[in-house]
Amino acid sequence: MQGAYRVAFISARSEEDEQGFWLVLLAAFGASETPVPVPTFNGANAVDRALTQLNQNNDPIVIVIDDAHELTHDALAHVAKFIADLPAHAHVVLASRHDLRLGAHQLRLAGEVAEIRAKNLEFTESETRELLARSGITLSGEALRTLQQRTEGWAAGLRLAALSLAVDSDPEEFVAQFSGSNRVVADYLMAEMLERQPPHVQRLLLTTSILGRVNGELADLLADTTGSDSILLELEDANAFVVSLDSERTWFRYHHLFRELLRLELRRTTPDLVAELHRRAAEWFTDRGYMVEGIRHTQAAGEWQSAAWLLADQVFDLLMSGQHKTLQSLLEAFPRAARIDHPELALVDAALESTQGRFEEAAQHLDIAEREAEKQPAEEDCGYRVGIATLRLCLARLRGQLDSVIEQVNYLASPAGARRRSGTPLSGVLRATALMNLGVVEMWSGRLADADQHLREGAELSEKIEHPYLRVSCLSNLGFASKVRSFASAREHSERAVELAHRYGWENETIIAPALLTLAGTHIWAGDFITGEKWLARAVKLTPPNTNPPVELLLHIVSGMFHAGRNRLSDALVEFEQAQRMQSLMLGEHVLASQATGWAAATKARLGMLADARRVLAEASPERAATGELRNAAAAIALESAEPDEALAQLRDVLDGRAPIIHDFTLVEAHLLAAQAYHMLKNEPEVRSSIEKALALAELERLILPFAMTGSRELLGKLPRHTTAHAALVLEILDMLEGWPRAGNGLSTPATTELSQTELRVLRYLPTNLSRSDIARELYVSVNTVNTHFRNIYSKLGAGRRTEAVERARQLRLLAH
Amino acid sequence: MKLYSIRVKGHLGAMSLAAFPEMVSQQRGADCVLTGVLPDHSALFGIVTQIEALGLELVEIRLLVPNPDQSERKG
Repeated sequence: MQGAYRVAFISARSEEDEQGFWLVLLAAFGASETPVPVPTFNGANAVDRALTQLNQNNDPIVIVIDDAHELTHDALAHVAKFIADLPAHAHVVLASRHDLRLGAHQLRLAGEVAEIRAKNLEFTESETRELLARSGITLSGEALRTLQQRTEGWAAGLRLAALSLAVDSDPEEFVAQFSGSNRVVADYLMAEMLERQPPHVQRLLLTTSILGRVNGELADLLADTTGSDSILLELEDANAFVVSLDSERTWFRYHHLFRELLRLELRRTTPDLVAELHRRAAEWFTDRGYMVEGIRHTQAAGEWQSAAWLLADQVFDLLMSGQHKTLQSLLEAFPRAARIDHPELALVDAALESTQGRFEEAAQHLDIAEREAEKQPAEEDCGYRVGIATLRLCLARLRGQLDSVIEQVNYLASPAGARRRSGTPLSGVLRATALMNLGVVEMWSGRLADADQHLREGAELSEKIEHPYLRVSCLSNLGFASKVRSFASAREHSERAVELAHRYGWENETIIAPALLTLAGTHIWAGDFITGEKWLARAVKLTPPNTNPPVELLLHIVSGMFHAGRNRLSDALVEFEQAQRMQSLMLGEHVLASQATGWAAATKARLGMLADARRVLAEASPERAATGELRNAAAAIALESAEPDEALAQLRDVLDGRAPIIHDFTLVEAHLLAAQAYHMLKNEPEVRSSIEKALALAELERLILPFAMTGSRELLGKLPRHTTAHAALVLEILDMLEGWPRAGNGLSTPATTELSQTELRVLRYLPTNLSRSDIARELYVSVNTVNTHFRNIYSKLGAGRRTEAVERARQLRLLAH
Repeated sequence: MKLYSIRVKGHLGAMSLAAFPEMVSQQRGADCVLTGVLPDHSALFGIVTQIEALGLELVEIRLLVPNPDQSERKG
């Protein structure tokens, strides 16, 4: 390799979740925003992100993956995929103790693999001489050869030997003794090397061998000494199997083999000391917030009760940073007996089950955890209780078990929910997770004002504790919840969530689905189907079927609105019926349930399936039948049956404000249906008055969709312009309805419409070679304007690409051949 | 419960032997033979992992068949 290239060094650690590995990799590539873990890790996405990041520039880079044998089966498969798609300017070096199943034969055939095996790494005599010379050791040719043969050129062995030789008064004698011994090389050299160290260094090395990583302060604590920091630095400088982990050289780790041998020596010489050392390390790590290491050492010290409490406290912090595997391994480190003796671990079991979609099992474990919590006085440990309540909400959210669960956990919102055992504040992550889950459950059960408040608090808190994932989750839902406030604020929160998600590379994470749907929904309400469709398409991709019924219900409603607004009634009906099916999967009433039922019935009626439509209404519960949405549906059925009086009778409660409604749009719809009824009755003043009321209500949020869904184009067109105070809105609505004319019943008609004058002007440039910016210059408009025209032209012509658009335009004789 | 004998290259000192508390060691020529009763496969793999971690060279693993005279005959 020539020229300058960057080196990214990543060590695969067996105890870490795979996500940690990829995040370190991304950070090493110089991702603009520090990569942040997500609770739902997806390996394929991670590979894509890494490749995208890598393709952003062409600077040569070498990625070294050390200890690649520690990668799990899945992680290895992802690394293999990563290597297979690697751009030409990047190279990967894998260091492994054994051969990896990488499917490397493909690359080998292509001559793209260089393999360096143990044989290639052996030190020759001259290399051995050079290594020793660097440590200031000179040996006779004879001794040098002996040493090289005895160690078989093994690099680590030679380094160990060098450490002893450097302090030995008679190096030749050392080599002679070594070669006379039959003992294993590492064993012999370790013992010799350790013996030659001063006692305080020996003690430091042995006592700190229990640690995965060590710093000066921690070493002082374990070895009962001071000045460990400089000893560690000296050892690293002496090349003594001590390496620093950071550029400031505060954290160090020992070479694996070295540490392993030191631990054995510690256990052999002072077995009673081991538990005490772990206890001290545990306290040090926990005090400084290194919770995972703290828990591991507490377990190693055999203090199962403390370890259980610590772990139960940490469940959500670990889950929310995607450390599922770590959580699992911490739980499994408890002996079977301890897991039975400490029922608080049931919370951990429940959390892990829920992440794997085993909700029943999760609920069972949660019951055990709850019984345990009840045995203790309420003020004893709020953290544990909040953890249980949060998981309950989370399960309720995923299973659509709404409303009922809120009563059980309403204390979450109270200040008491913010404290925990010994009055210390609750972990911010736990509190924010609790608020998020509470807000979402409230939102889907229709308590939008409460939801708005709790999600807002959750978003603020997660910003304060710098937890972007929770912040995006809260904001993503806050969009929908704040629809009560205004569409503008709903869009603002949703856009914020999507933008934040992009910044962290989470554009494919399911958490932003509610935000995308809110954006799609509000645009479709306002008659902007093109923008709405764009958001909707993204949301569809991020909503895997049968994982989150409440979100799916919203998805189907918005999709139905999209089709209904463009008068594709059959497609709309399919979506509304899917939405109803989602409701049937849930244990509680979804905020949009009556909307799904109402629109399913009304759409059937408009498709001429009157009997079916009536049956839908007849099957609804009395409470749901009394909602404004279902009254509107009944009115729509009556209108299709040419019974205007019946329609007006159904609408009376809605128009009087007695029937519960989801949002003003139900009211707009009711006024428009009333207008149609009056039109049938030839009561023109009432027609005008009803339309005027609908327009007045629609004006604020630009609720254009109801005009399309109720087929009010004809009525609106007849409305004398001078009689309305909303002439501009009428024009806009008519423009929109012209775009998607109401077609015959049940037929999915392709969306075709005439191009505007400006669009025709742009169209003329389509067959040319001019780029968009060239066209913009020609027409004296901005590139964005041209982009908008392009989008509209493509959409109106049903084309996906420029060539297709040209072809379609020629077929339609909009362009000459 | 099965009896295994595991042969590694070289003579193990006290330090390395501490890694295999459940095994008895014997020097055989240039090799060291570790013998012991292991409860299951996981225990066996645990020992192999230790051997790997210590950079020892594994020569052979043998499942020792109990002397037919001493073991119960199963019909």
